[in-house]
Amino acid sequence: MPKDALNSPETLLDVRNLSVEFRTPRGRVKALRDITIPIRKNRIIGIVGESGSGKSTVLWALLGLLAKNADVTGGEVRFGDRDLLHASEAQLRATRGEEISVVFQDPMTSQIPVLTYGRQMLDILYRRPNVSAAEKRRMAIEMLGKVGIPDPDKRIDQYPHHFSGGMRQRAGIAMALLTGPQLLLADEPTTALDVTMEAQIIHLLQDLQKELEATVVVVSHNLGLIAELCDDVVVMYAGEVIEAGEVHEIFHNAQHPYTRALLECDPARIDDVSRKLPVIPGDIPDLTKALSGCIYAPRCQRALPLCREKLPPDVARGEMSLARCHLLDGPHHDPSWPPPLDVMTVGQGVAGASKPARVKTDKPLLEVSDLNVQFETVGHLRARLKGITQRHVDAVLDVSLLVAPGETVGLVGESGSGKTTLGRCVLNLVQAQAGSVRFEGQEIRNMPESRFKPLRRDMAMMFQDPVGSLSPRKSVRALITEPFQIHGVTGIDLDAEAERLADMVRLPKPFLSRYPHELSGGQARRVGVARALALNPKLIIADEPTAGLDVSVQGEILNLMADLQAEHGLGYLIITHNLPVVRHIADRLAIMYLGRIVEEGRTDELFGRPVHPYTQALVEGVPQPDPDRRRVHVSISGEVPSLLNRPKGCDFAGRCPFAQDLCRAEKPPHVKMANGRRHACHFPLD
Amino acid sequence: MLYYLTKRLGLSAVVVCLVVLALFSLLYCIPGDPATIALGPRATEEAIARYAEKMHLDEPVWRQFLIYIGNALTGDLGLDVFSDRPVTAIIMERIGFTLALVGAGMGWAMLLGIPLGCLAAVKPNSWIDRITGVLSVGTIAVPSFLVSIWALLIFAVHLRWLPAIGAGEPGDTGDQLSHLILPAFAIGLSWVGYLARMVRASMLEVMGENYIRSARAFGLRPRRVIFGYALRVAILPTITLIGMGFGGMISSTVFAEIIFARPGIGKLIFDAVMARNFPIVQGAVLVATGLYIFVVLFSDILIAWFDPRVRESL
Amino acid sequence: MNPSESETGIPAVDASGLPDHVTEADIRESAARERREKLRMFLTNWQGLTGLILVTLFFASAVFAPWLAPYDPNALDVPARLSGPTLEHLAGTDQLGRDTLSRILYGGRVALYIAAIGVSVSLVIGLILGMIAGFGPRWLDNLLLLVFDTVRSFPTIVLALATVALTGPSLGVVLAIVIITSIPQYARVARTATLTLRNTDFILAERSLGASMTRTLLHHVMPNVIGPLLILAAMEVPVVVTVEAGLSFLGLGVTPPTASWGTILNEGYLVIRDAPWMVIAGGIPLILTTLGFTFLGEALRDIFDPRMGKGR
Repeated sequence: MPKDALNSPETLLDVRNLSVEFRTPRGRVKALRDITIPIRKNRIIGIVGESGSGKSTVLWALLGLLAKNADVTGGEVRFGDRDLLHASEAQLRATRGEEISVVFQDPMTSQIPVLTYGRQMLDILYRRPNVSAAEKRRMAIEMLGKVGIPDPDKRIDQYPHHFSGGMRQRAGIAMALLTGPQLLLADEPTTALDVTMEAQIIHLLQDLQKELEATVVVVSHNLGLIAELCDDVVVMYAGEVIEAGEVHEIFHNAQHPYTRALLECDPARIDDVSRKLPVIPGDIPDLTKALSGCIYAPRCQRALPLCREKLPPDVARGEMSLARCHLLDGPHHDPSWPPPLDVMTVGQGVAGASKPARVKTDKPLLEVSDLNVQFETVGHLRARLKGITQRHVDAVLDVSLLVAPGETVGLVGESGSGKTTLGRCVLNLVQAQAGSVRFEGQEIRNMPESRFKPLRRDMAMMFQDPVGSLSPRKSVRALITEPFQIHGVTGIDLDAEAERLADMVRLPKPFLSRYPHELSGGQARRVGVARALALNPKLIIADEPTAGLDVSVQGEILNLMADLQAEHGLGYLIITHNLPVVRHIADRLAIMYLGRIVEEGRTDELFGRPVHPYTQALVEGVPQPDPDRRRVHVSISGEVPSLLNRPKGCDFAGRCPFAQDLCRAEKPPHVKMANGRRHACHFPLD
Repeated sequence: MLYYLTKRLGLSAVVVCLVVLALFSLLYCIPGDPATIALGPRATEEAIARYAEKMHLDEPVWRQFLIYIGNALTGDLGLDVFSDRPVTAIIMERIGFTLALVGAGMGWAMLLGIPLGCLAAVKPNSWIDRITGVLSVGTIAVPSFLVSIWALLIFAVHLRWLPAIGAGEPGDTGDQLSHLILPAFAIGLSWVGYLARMVRASMLEVMGENYIRSARAFGLRPRRVIFGYALRVAILPTITLIGMGFGGMISSTVFAEIIFARPGIGKLIFDAVMARNFPIVQGAVLVATGLYIFVVLFSDILIAWFDPRVRESL
Repeated sequence: MNPSESETGIPAVDASGLPDHVTEADIRESAARERREKLRMFLTNWQGLTGLILVTLFFASAVFAPWLAPYDPNALDVPARLSGPTLEHLAGTDQLGRDTLSRILYGGRVALYIAAIGVSVSLVIGLILGMIAGFGPRWLDNLLLLVFDTVRSFPTIVLALATVALTGPSLGVVLAIVIITSIPQYARVARTATLTLRNTDFILAERSLGASMTRTLLHHVMPNVIGPLLILAAMEVPVVVTVEAGLSFLGLGVTPPTASWGTILNEGYLVIRDAPWMVIAGGIPLILTTLGFTFLGEALRDIFDPRMGKGR
């Protein structure tokens, strides 16, 4: 790191040579090794990394809130005239909440449920003995208003469960900024939120930072968030800082191969739609073992033999940036590195068959018409006692959808959209109250299980929680071969089938004897795919296939799915909220909002020229991993309304920037457009 | 909140009725004439006839049941078979002793057990944690009636520090207190262990939650975090368990009253069973049931008061 | 979900594919290692070991009582009545001159009988009822829950007294009461486990594959439910034994002249001022048995199902 930056008066917090180890049953995990991050005043710095990078550990080390089995083995953290790493507990406590504050990742679990916000905020201000309780309350109300919570004077006395997810996160930000801290730490502040809420929170943080002149450290794996919000960026990999610099430098001129690979793998940065996505092969090394050489060498796309032996130097490039790589300096300096931005340095993992031209058939694989699913919210008795007339919510309202054989349809929506319910209804796991579901022409809605069971061989589901959807006491082999047993398929060699399927999903054979809790997310997903494929289905419904997967490896599962589709002519219904991914892998999209389909059509057309304001909000709402494409203003405010309070008229009218009186009065009907597109809007965008 | 209260009260009333119904049906399930069963094989013809008349045994069963419930609501629980004194009066004479014992036993168990559990959770693996661990397992394992007997043996019979029998002279509070010490100690002992480990487990679980980490990250004082945040949440399952386990407390109390010859409800039931004085059995069981239902109800209400989510979800 | 690395310090398991350094032999080895690890944990846990020893002692002494007892438990020896521990009567004699040690050993048989039958019957019934409550419709669940909670928290002794008032004392009554008041515990645990499982994705996944209800219950629910239940059974044995001893102590259970730990305590209580050792002798086996099973159950739970320990 350039020496001048360290002692510059602009530096608020200086992390120097921080090393942290965890004592675990498997050995000592060297979670952080020699981390140096100067944090400049009045700027937003982002720490980017994937799972295992140690980015969150840095935050906890700063606050002195590491887990009990953590050992700080070296370094210092200079904050003003103190070294936070070696400060006493009392000194640390004085700093926490007053000078350094935190916004947490999951607002649903980070706020105590039995105390009102007013009480919690009063507690936070306990260090102001000269300020009266009434004044503290006024400060709290003012801050709640600043973060965009309506009626703050009334809502301050409410409990967290009265607030929705987005509001809770706003309240969390209010609590963090209440004491006017100099430094705000944000741990994945938008990961648990919907896309449209994420955009609002990003802008809130930007505005607040400017207004309060605070310094912010954002930890995230979301490149779009970092590009949109941050001024400086630090890239971490497996416990080391491998690159740092200003945001434009990092995103437009990344020096380190990992940063470069990470950027290339982000589907939002790949403009050309491509069915297969780039992947960084392999995985982070075992941090309990001795490490030599460059930490990224085993996976590096440009690794040299030297890289595994000798630790690369920190090569400075400008005042604030560095990258740790042999290619940039010294005897192995390669002037052709890094190549221009349009050159891909990372491959797409295992090569597979290319997609054959789609067979045109008239008969759709899956045809859903005017489907309605209701859930009962209140029992008969209680409804009468409380005088509630509306006992049901419409989780799925008049939904029509088509999936052709061999086609991939993306079902996109945020929380409460009903997309998961729709998927489950198609598989007869949830009862539907009205409408029709036809599979290969046969009506299957609410079919009795005894008749439906044979059809289960033709359609399968991949679940969102890969490990949780596997029966914990069954081995992988038993799980993969279970479909055969359930459907009474005889005359086959189960072991051979298990191995065949394992090969098909590229799961190494030794894994067949493992149990679900011994699998990683990615491996468990493959087992899920293998189970789904066991009986040669024609349709696979995949619920959030990339949830929980790092960007650099999500391509593996997606490419596998693409290859399988090419080989077997599978149809996919992909349920997701991940727009950048679905833009690449889906042929057609259906956008759901509060149980209705608001727009449907070809993916490229939907992204290029959205017709429904909500689609436009979604498309624009995704933060782009390019600091030059920052949004100036957010078009969408508010949150998804609750199913219990479905608005009269168009569901989206309350948030739509183009809403007119008609929209608030009448629900828009489904309209079919020329090229097979459909929408539900009174005043479609043109 | 009101709706929740009503619902719990309604359920409690149902339970009480069910218990009485169970007693009634037991009486009628056993083959033979109910009066003879109730009074035993040695009862005289005349006693049986008198009993049958008093208990309206000629009426249909459901009417008898309703009559009984109706009477109970007005405070009439029938008459003692031998002395013809109203059961209610007899019970009223004795209930004070039982309440005193239960209160004292529960009281000291909570005063010692809850702080111990808290301390053990806040300082895991310290000596206090280990001692609490061993003590709680040990005291849970030893049956409370055995503790009563051995306490009697050691402190009353052998050392003569404390009196063995009875509840003490009426009007003499000091004497009554000294008679209360041994039984209260005996029934409270296993509860100390039970409570300590419940609170410890609950606190440990809560302290690992994200919102406690948030409270610490905001720099709140450790005392505030432990008592105002962690204990505030951890106490809820403990209250539920106290409510659930109260029946066991009543059982221990009955044993203690018998062993120490305290004239409470427990001893009343026991003596009445031995003497085949069925109306007293029925009435006292009803009152005992009422007591335990009340405690369960109270604990439920306490939880609703502490936890806003419970208040509103119902 | 495998928790994030920042929380536990243990890096999340490999993100994709088999890392270079793990082979098939390694995987088999790790499963075996896990089993050995569990055994080692059990053996080094002093509580568990003590518990195991005490439980074995209990079983052995009860099963082999006829061979171990020096005297017939009902043999009278009136001249030697109410003697303290002597060489001839290691635990002393009772008021009729019967050898206390022999009576203790035979009393263990009663305890074993009640424990074995009581626990197994209530476990099976509780398991079935709990699974029904967990899997069935909501109203059934609510109803069963009400019944469970009421029965479980009802004071056992009051129930016993009321029943015996009408039926007279017998071991059968004790057994029935013990079973009825134990069922709710098992049912509750089974219900909680079933409910948790019902909402997990993997049950849904089984349904999506077409598994029938029976298959789901037998293959997927029960194996996950039976574990906690067996551990609970170990912890319930002391309760059952204690209830029997308590009821026999009051004269509501085993009838004379049968020896039971409770009747020994009863007889000892009656002569407590003159011959205190009977009460001590009768209490010791009770304490050892309850301690033994409790230690054993705790150790098993800590090793095999640590989540269960957090508040039942």
